[in-house]
Amino acid sequence: MKEIIPFYDQWEKEGIIPKEAWKKMGQNGYLCPWVEKEYSGAGLGLEFSFIITEEMAYAGVYGLMAGLHSDIVAPYIHSFGHDKQRRKWLPGCISGDIILAVAMTEPDAGSDLSSMRTTAVREGANYIINGEKIYISNGILSNLIVVACKTEIESRSPYKNISLICVEEGSPGFSRGRNLEKTGWHSQDTGELIFRDCQVPVSNLLGEEGKGFYYMMEKLQQERLVSAIMSQASAEAAFTMTLDYYKQRKCLKQAEVPIDANGIAEMATDIEIGRTFLNSLIYDHIHGEDIIKRVSMAKWWISDMANRVISECMELYRDYGYLEEYKVGRFFRDVRAHPIYAGSNEIMKRIIGKKLGI
Amino acid sequence: MDFHLTIEQRDIQKVASEFAKGEFDPDAALDYDLRQQFPLPIWKKACELGFIGVHFPEEYGGQELGLLENVLIVEAFCRQDSGIGMALALSGFGSEMIVRNGNEDQKTRILPFVAHGEGIVTSAFLEEGHFLAPFATTAKIDENECVINGMKSFVTLANMADYIIVVCQTRMDTPQAQTVILLKKDMDGIKVSSMGEKVGMRMVPVDQVVFADARVPVENIVGQEDTGYFQLQDYFNEMRIKTGAMGIGIAQGGLDKALEYSKKRQQFGKPIASFGAIRNKLADMYMDVEMARLITYKAAWSFDLGKPDLQAILMAKMISSQTAYKTAYNAVQVHGGYGYMAEGQIEHFYRDAKVLDLFLEPRYIQRNMLADNMLGR
Repeated sequence: MKEIIPFYDQWEKEGIIPKEAWKKMGQNGYLCPWVEKEYSGAGLGLEFSFIITEEMAYAGVYGLMAGLHSDIVAPYIHSFGHDKQRRKWLPGCISGDIILAVAMTEPDAGSDLSSMRTTAVREGANYIINGEKIYISNGILSNLIVVACKTEIESRSPYKNISLICVEEGSPGFSRGRNLEKTGWHSQDTGELIFRDCQVPVSNLLGEEGKGFYYMMEKLQQERLVSAIMSQASAEAAFTMTLDYYKQRKCLKQAEVPIDANGIAEMATDIEIGRTFLNSLIYDHIHGEDIIKRVSMAKWWISDMANRVISECMELYRDYGYLEEYKVGRFFRDVRAHPIYAGSNEIMKRIIGKKLGI
Repeated sequence: MDFHLTIEQRDIQKVASEFAKGEFDPDAALDYDLRQQFPLPIWKKACELGFIGVHFPEEYGGQELGLLENVLIVEAFCRQDSGIGMALALSGFGSEMIVRNGNEDQKTRILPFVAHGEGIVTSAFLEEGHFLAPFATTAKIDENECVINGMKSFVTLANMADYIIVVCQTRMDTPQAQTVILLKKDMDGIKVSSMGEKVGMRMVPVDQVVFADARVPVENIVGQEDTGYFQLQDYFNEMRIKTGAMGIGIAQGGLDKALEYSKKRQQFGKPIASFGAIRNKLADMYMDVEMARLITYKAAWSFDLGKPDLQAILMAKMISSQTAYKTAYNAVQVHGGYGYMAEGQIEHFYRDAKVLDLFLEPRYIQRNMLADNMLGR
């Protein structure tokens, strides 16, 4: 953190993280620590990666999103890539030379992935990709992007026509749009990706053609877990900060109206419920259990809870909470993203409903 | 009982909303927000057309309308754009103290100045630690002059203001012995420094103002010496209602945008407005906005009758500010990823709304005040 925190305000202003910082993360072994030694990884358990993700969120470092890189995108390459792809890319992912992104969302395909329009047509040894992706985290920095494309244009079933193709920086026909202004995550580059007759070797296909939808549905579970971990950690960090601030002010007798413990106790309880739920999910997920229903519950509940708690924390700071100088306001802006991405909270409830048979 | 606005009030509502629709350019709003700039040209135009200071007496550039009419204007402005709406609503911050308590000279000097958009007036009361009584900022008053020393925080637009109305402690033995003093900002003994960037309400920067032997003649005292605390209480009541107006405006604006977007945005082959998750949100938002509006109008109505209903006023402030927050939260949610991006034109409503919960005093303090009032303490 000593390599990040002193510079973080500056990066937030600049709207981007220097690539050097990613490399430092890699040098310290903080990227993809779960990858086996044969691919230059540390061969540790997934829990080590989650601890890093959690610590980053705890420190309010949303910009350098190791969790996205290590826990969300790298697993696609690891699980569905063949040995040659793994050997080619995973060492770079671990060292920080490769920064990953995954591109699903399009202007007309948000919650409804089946309406995506980006196509990849086979032409000799290449795929020719055409389309546009938006709101892609690491969209500007990334040099390897897992892109969801329609490969079988004839088939209308999303279960058969989506494939995942890795696009490398510098591929002909690939360009990037703007780095978008947003509520929070200011140093995290959220970009647009543009593919115009973009040529990618057929060997960049991940897994089998047409199975992309299933791959995404499988990996989105972990993305939702990561979102819940980040929400929970942010709520805990903001609450601890607020409690310290409040106690300190009380010592200085600066709180002119006594706040009874009521509201604070409710927040602490919310956080404890979230933590208990989350820990049990992490345990089950690492042990390979099916967590689809419960992770959908955790993602919506914990992300809404974190927003609720942090919003109330701000009130305990009074007007100071609204100043960027007091970091509670940054948490307030940053956590607002969690109920939206990785499947919106509305989609989470839809999944829970389906699992309940309604 | 009659829940209808008068024809005149509906006309004001209509004109204000047409002005906001015509003049509040959404791209300009994003730019002001990003650069933390007060929307000067829009404010000038609003003043020219008589939207600022409608509640001032006619002889001082106003239209002698009530707080309810002012509420309708603030609501219409914030509905169109939270940032511009709040900036315009706060351009004459504190001038109401002059309306109520100022002498002839102060009224002639300040009120037309605010109403005609000649400059900005602000007021300074908050201090480090948020004590309201006693203040650490003091004024020593003799026959001729007041000498002010101390520091005030969270003074809106202080840097660009022409006048500052400051509330000072005048006797330390009585916490409520405070005096309101009108100052020209550009004078010896006043130093203004920025308090930095804010989460929202970025078109209205806040500053710290340091007074070091700032001297003004006793003619600059607003109302009677030592009555500042009570002037501030009246002013707070008015501001709580005005905050309620900003809240219902922001909430209604969020709902408008969510409604429009949910009809247009297609997913799974149909508009998202056809999904239960979105419909529930829209219905909840509408209920909340309507409730907040009723209590805010009631509070304004009681204020205009000269019998301010403190309970209604506190409820209006709490309900409206929470409604603004919750509704803006859900409006962002309805917009999905687009809602989190500045270009979605809704995320600043969310950032802006949160200030209302903090304004004057947060909910946990107002709940206590309401409970005190209910329990007869």
